[in-house]
Amino acid sequence: MRTTGSAHAGLGEWLVQRATSVYLAGFLIYLVLRFVLDPLPDHAAWRAWFAQGPVRVAWGLFFLSLLLHAWAGMRSVYMDYLHSAGLRVAVTFLTGFGLLALALWAAAILISSTP
Amino acid sequence: MAQNGSRPVFLNLFRIRLPIGGIVSILHRVTGVLLALSIPFMLYLLQQSLADATAYAALVAAFRSPGAKLLMLLAAALLAQHFFSGLRHLLLDIDIGTGKAAARRLAWLTFAATGLTLVIAGACL
Repeated sequence: MRTTGSAHAGLGEWLVQRATSVYLAGFLIYLVLRFVLDPLPDHAAWRAWFAQGPVRVAWGLFFLSLLLHAWAGMRSVYMDYLHSAGLRVAVTFLTGFGLLALALWAAAILISSTP
Repeated sequence: MAQNGSRPVFLNLFRIRLPIGGIVSILHRVTGVLLALSIPFMLYLLQQSLADATAYAALVAAFRSPGAKLLMLLAAALLAQHFFSGLRHLLLDIDIGTGKAAARRLAWLTFAATGLTLVIAGACL
């Protein structure tokens, strides 16, 4: 059964992409500016910065935004090119679980970097 | 389609010329997929950099190799092109650059911005 591709994927996907891309763009610009203007010279400084609560919250939001952004993007790719419903559902599920696994990994990294 | 025999039928992707906006669009998608596939590796790098001073030092040393620098430039190119064409998308959302001339200008601008980013990144590496 042919689908309409990613057309009419809905306001929800559009909103998720816009919101996450704004945060991702802002975070990226912040990182670049910060490390250019005030670099962290060694491992100790890097860990100390990362250990701060607000820094980890910002990184946590970054990972959430990144994985949601990747999810919406990959989903529209599958909807456009995978026309067999069974294959599309399987690949979409695998991607979803893969991204969830990455989210858990990111959470572990953030939690284990407590001072 | 069978009636008009004089019209050329192109199914050869290498002979289809996309308008510049189409090229930016498909590049946005391709760079997005490649960036998404690189997330596990990026998480690994982050984890290693935070683990301990030895792992950190190993990473720094590995990044000095020319192969690693080339990879970093490639990653920067993917990220920059996706980022700037993403900005173009957001501008189009608020009705900036939706006219044909403006859209083409913005499309070329994404390539210029990516090129500039690569020059700066290359200088820093």
